[in-house]
Amino acid sequence: MTIFRLVTSALFPVAIAAVIYLLTKDSKFKDFSYAKKQIIIGVVFGISACLATQFGIPYEGFVLNVRGASPLAAGLLFGAPAGVIAGVIGGIYRWFSVYWGVGSYTQLACSLGTIIAGLAGAACHKYMFDKKKPGWFYGLFIGASVEVAHMLLVFTTHINDMQNAFEVVRICAVPMISANGLSVMLSCIVVSALAGEINRKKLGKKQITQTFSVSLLICVIIAYIATSAFTFVLQNSISKTDVEETLRKNVTDVEKDVLEASDHNLLQITRNIRDDVIKDELYKVTPSDKEQIRAQLTDMLEKYNVTDINIVDENGIITVSSYAEFDDFDFTSQKDGQSAEFTALLKDDEEIVQQYGPLDYDKTIERKYAGVKLPNGFVQVGYDFDHFKTSIEQEVRLAANNRHIGDTGYIFILDQRTGEVISAPEGTVTSEKAAGFIDTLKSSKALTVLNAENEEGKLYCMHNFCEGYIIAGCISVNEAHFSRNVSIYIGIFMQVVVFVTLFVLIYILIKKIIIDNIHEINNSLSQITGGNLDTKVNVRDNEEFASLSDDINSTVDTLKDYISQAEKRMDEELKFAKNIQHSALPSVFPAYPNRREFDIYASMNTAKEVGGDFYDFYFVGKNTIAVLMADVSGKGIPAAMFMMTAKTMIKNLAETGLPVQEVLTQANEKLCETNEAGMFVTTWLGFIDLTTGKLTYANAGHNPPLLKRGKGKFEYLKGRSGLVLAGMEGVVYRANEVDLWPGDKLYLYTDGVTEATNSETQLYGEDRLVDLLNSQDYKTPEESCKAVLQSVMDFTGEADQFDDITMLQFDLYEIKTTEEIVVIPDTSSIPRVTEFVEKWMGRSRVDQRTINKVNVVIDEIYSNIAYYSKAGWASVKYNRDDDNIYLTFTDDGSPYNPLEKEDPDITLSAEEREIGGLGVFMVKKIMDNVDYKYEDGKNVLKLTKKI
Amino acid sequence: MTINKTINGNETTLAIEGRIDTTTAPQLEAEIDAIGDCTSLILDFAGVEYISSAGLRVLLKAQKLMNNQGKMVLKNVGEDIMEVFDITGFADLLTIE
Repeated sequence: MTIFRLVTSALFPVAIAAVIYLLTKDSKFKDFSYAKKQIIIGVVFGISACLATQFGIPYEGFVLNVRGASPLAAGLLFGAPAGVIAGVIGGIYRWFSVYWGVGSYTQLACSLGTIIAGLAGAACHKYMFDKKKPGWFYGLFIGASVEVAHMLLVFTTHINDMQNAFEVVRICAVPMISANGLSVMLSCIVVSALAGEINRKKLGKKQITQTFSVSLLICVIIAYIATSAFTFVLQNSISKTDVEETLRKNVTDVEKDVLEASDHNLLQITRNIRDDVIKDELYKVTPSDKEQIRAQLTDMLEKYNVTDINIVDENGIITVSSYAEFDDFDFTSQKDGQSAEFTALLKDDEEIVQQYGPLDYDKTIERKYAGVKLPNGFVQVGYDFDHFKTSIEQEVRLAANNRHIGDTGYIFILDQRTGEVISAPEGTVTSEKAAGFIDTLKSSKALTVLNAENEEGKLYCMHNFCEGYIIAGCISVNEAHFSRNVSIYIGIFMQVVVFVTLFVLIYILIKKIIIDNIHEINNSLSQITGGNLDTKVNVRDNEEFASLSDDINSTVDTLKDYISQAEKRMDEELKFAKNIQHSALPSVFPAYPNRREFDIYASMNTAKEVGGDFYDFYFVGKNTIAVLMADVSGKGIPAAMFMMTAKTMIKNLAETGLPVQEVLTQANEKLCETNEAGMFVTTWLGFIDLTTGKLTYANAGHNPPLLKRGKGKFEYLKGRSGLVLAGMEGVVYRANEVDLWPGDKLYLYTDGVTEATNSETQLYGEDRLVDLLNSQDYKTPEESCKAVLQSVMDFTGEADQFDDITMLQFDLYEIKTTEEIVVIPDTSSIPRVTEFVEKWMGRSRVDQRTINKVNVVIDEIYSNIAYYSKAGWASVKYNRDDDNIYLTFTDDGSPYNPLEKEDPDITLSAEEREIGGLGVFMVKKIMDNVDYKYEDGKNVLKLTKKI
Repeated sequence: MTINKTINGNETTLAIEGRIDTTTAPQLEAEIDAIGDCTSLILDFAGVEYISSAGLRVLLKAQKLMNNQGKMVLKNVGEDIMEVFDITGFADLLTIE
C-alpha cells in the first residue's frame, strides 16, 4: 500500500509533464507568450508540489513525499522561470502547511528543499543543458541529488537533535531519494519520447559534451564511491575502537573497584589479625607453644571469617599456620609466583595484598592472600571466594550499579563459579539468563568485544574475570554505532552534494571554456568552408584558442592568396577555352551570302564560366540545311568538352544523310557509350528542305523554338519531344514535320535567354521574349537576335550573367518549287489564277514590278484562253529557280499558236488602230522567252521571265 | 479597282486605283461612256498597278471619243505603265503629262 501510494505520487509529476508537453506542441497554448507559458507551467507544477505535501504517505512513524520532483521537472524540462516559480510555490506552501496539520519537525528543511529543487532545475536547464531536454540518467542523477540535499537539510536544521533527525533520515532517505529520482527520470523519458528524441539521439556521432559528461559522471561516481567507502571503513573502525575502549574502560573500572574493595577488606582483616598477633605475641613461637598458638589462630579464623593464617619468621618460613600442613613452608624456596611475592615483606614492604587466584601449593585451590609485616617476619592471611564475597558484596553491587555505558549500556557481575547474578540493572540479566551464556563467557577471551543479542536487539559485550566474579559490560549496537551512522549519513550525503556540485561546475566550466569556443570556431569554419573566406575566427578567451584562431586565420589568408592566383590562371585558361569553343561554332555572317532563299543568324554570349550551350547549322544535302540548338548540362570545362563531342557527333551523323530522328537516336547511343561523367545534352535539330520549305525536326528535351508564319505572330512550335541526349540508352526519337513558307521565321534559343535574372531575381521569361519578337517586324535574323540580346541585357542590368545566352534565327525567303492551279477557264476565274501566281511570286520574293508585269501576262494569256479557245479546263504552273520564273499555260482548247499572230502596227494613230492582237504582243514583249507547242491535244504555252 | 470621279465644269477627272485588266476594264469603260459631253478628261494613273490589253482597248476608245469632243490627258503615269505604253506604241497616241 505504501509502495503503491509512493509510486502514484512519483508518477503524478510525470503525468503533468507529459500533458504540459503535449499542450506546448499543439493547441492554443503554444501561441501564448514565453512569460505567460512559464508562469502557467510554474504554477501547475507548484500545485503539484503542494498536492505532494498534502497527500504525504505515512511510513514507520514518518511521512514520505515526492515534492521536489515537480519543481525540478518544471525547471529541467520547461524552463528556468517555471522551475523557480514551482519551487517557491511548493516551498511556501510547505512552510505554512504546518498550520493545517502537516509535520512541523522538517518544516524548514522541506520548505528550503523544495525551493532548492526549483532553483537546481532552473540552473541545470539554463547552464548545463543549454535549454535542451536532459537525458534520463541526468534526470535520475539530479532528482536523487536534490533529495539528498533535502536530507542533509534535515540534519543541518536539527544540529542539536541528531538522534531524531537521524531517525527521520534513516527511515525516509531511501524511499524519498529513489521516488524523487525515478519521478524526474520518468518525466525526462516521457517528454523525450513524446518529442521523438529517444531514438534520434542514438544516431550520429557523440558530441564532446556527451562523451565528456559521461566520463566525468563516471569519474565522479567512482570518486564518490571510493570516498564513501573510505569514510565508512574509517568511521566503522573508529566506532569499533570507541566501543572497545568504552567497554574496556567501564569493565576495568568496575574491576578496579571490586579489586580495591576486596584488597581493602582483606588488608584490614590482616591488619586486625596482626594486631591480635602482636598483642598476644603469637609471633614469638616456640616449639612448646606452637600448638596453642595454632589453636588461637584457628579461633581467629572463625572470628575474622578467613580460611588460613600463617605466621612467617624473618627467614620466610612459616613458623605456625592455622593449617598444620603449612608449617615450615619456606617462602624463599619459590623463585617467583604467588608465594614468592611475599618475600618482599621480609625486606622493606609493610603490606602486600594479592589478587584472588590459585595457590602455588595446590593449584586447584583459589584464595586471596594478604600479608602484613611483624616485628620479625610477617603474618599472611588468606581467604577464599565464599569468605570475601559476603564481606564485599555491598561494595561490588555499588560499583556495578552506578555505572552506565552510554545511554542504554550497563554493567553486570556474575559469580564466576555458579553463574549467580551478583549485580545487574533491573530487567537486564537474571541468573536464569546468565546460565545460558556463562560458559561462553568463561571460554571467551577476556576484555575482547563479543557479539550478543537480547530482546531489544544486538549488543556488544566485554567481560573480565576478577576475584571470582565475571564483570561484563554491554552496549546496544545501534547506540554504539550511532555517531558512526550519523557521520556516515552526513558524510555520504555531503559528498553527494559536493560531487554533484563539482560535476555541474566542471561541466559548465568546460562547456564554457572549451565546448562553446569550439562551437564558435566551428561556426566560423563552416562559414569559411561555405565559401566566405573573409570570415575571421576570433576566440580569445585563452591562449590556446587565441593561437588556434590565429593559425586558422593565417591558413585561410594563405589559402585565399592561392585561390586568387589559381583563379587568375584559371580565368586565362577559361578565356582560352571559350575562344576555342566559340571558334568551333559558325560565326561568320552572312553565313551563305549566295543564298537568297533564306537567311540565318546565331549568337552565343557566354557567361563568365565556360558553358555548354551551342548552336550549329550546315547543309546536309544540296538543298537541305540543318539547324541545331543544344545545351549541355552543367558548366565549366567538362560541359564544354562534352559539347564539342556532341556537336561533332551530331554533325557527322547528319552529314551522312540520315533522317533527323535517326541522327538523334544514333547520337544518343554513341554519347551514352562514352558518357562516364553522367552529363547530358538537350538538343533541338531541324532539317529544312529549301525546295519545298518542309521542316523536319526532332527534339531531345530542348525547349521548343518559336515560329512565326508569314504575317502572323511568333508562337511556340511544340512538337513531340524525347529524352535528353546521353540520358539513357535505347531512346528512339521521332520526327515532326511542319511546312515552312517563304516569310516564315524560326527562332531557336537556350534557357539562358528566358532564365536570365535581374538583380531582383526576376526571370526574363518567355512572355517577354515572345512580346519582344512580336513587337516589331525585324527585317533580318541578325536584327531580331540582336534586339533580343539587347533586351535581355537591359533587363538583367548589373546582375551577373549565370548562363550562356544562345540563340539562332532562320528566316525563309523562298523555296524552289513547282505549283499549279487548274481552273475552268472563264473570265470570273481570272482573278483566282492571278492571285495564285501572285502569291507564289510574293513568297519567292519576286519584286513588285516583275509581279505587275507577270500579272499583265497572265491576264492577257488567260483571257485569250477564256474568250477564244473553248477549252474545258486550263492550268497555270508556276515555277522558279535562281534566275528565272517560269509560267506554263496548258488548256484543252482548240489548237492556237499565239506566236503565229502578226504583231500589230503600233505606229498608227488612235483612229487607225485596231483593237486586238495587242495582248499577245505585250506578252511577247514582257517575257524573255515564249514557247508554244501543241501536244496530246493540249495547247502548252511556256513563258520565261528573268529575275 | 476603284475609280474616283471628279467633275469640275467641263473637266472630268477619273482617279484610278488598282489593276486595269480583263476583269476590271469593263468598269472603266462604263465610266468613260458616262462622261457625257465634257471637253476635258483627265485620267489619274497614280494608283494604277498595271494595265493589260483590255485596259489599253478602253484607253484607245476613250482617246477616240475625246478626240471628237475635247482632249484626254493621263496624269501621274508610273514607270511600269509607261513601259507598257512604250511597248504598245500608246505612248505616242495618248497625251501623257
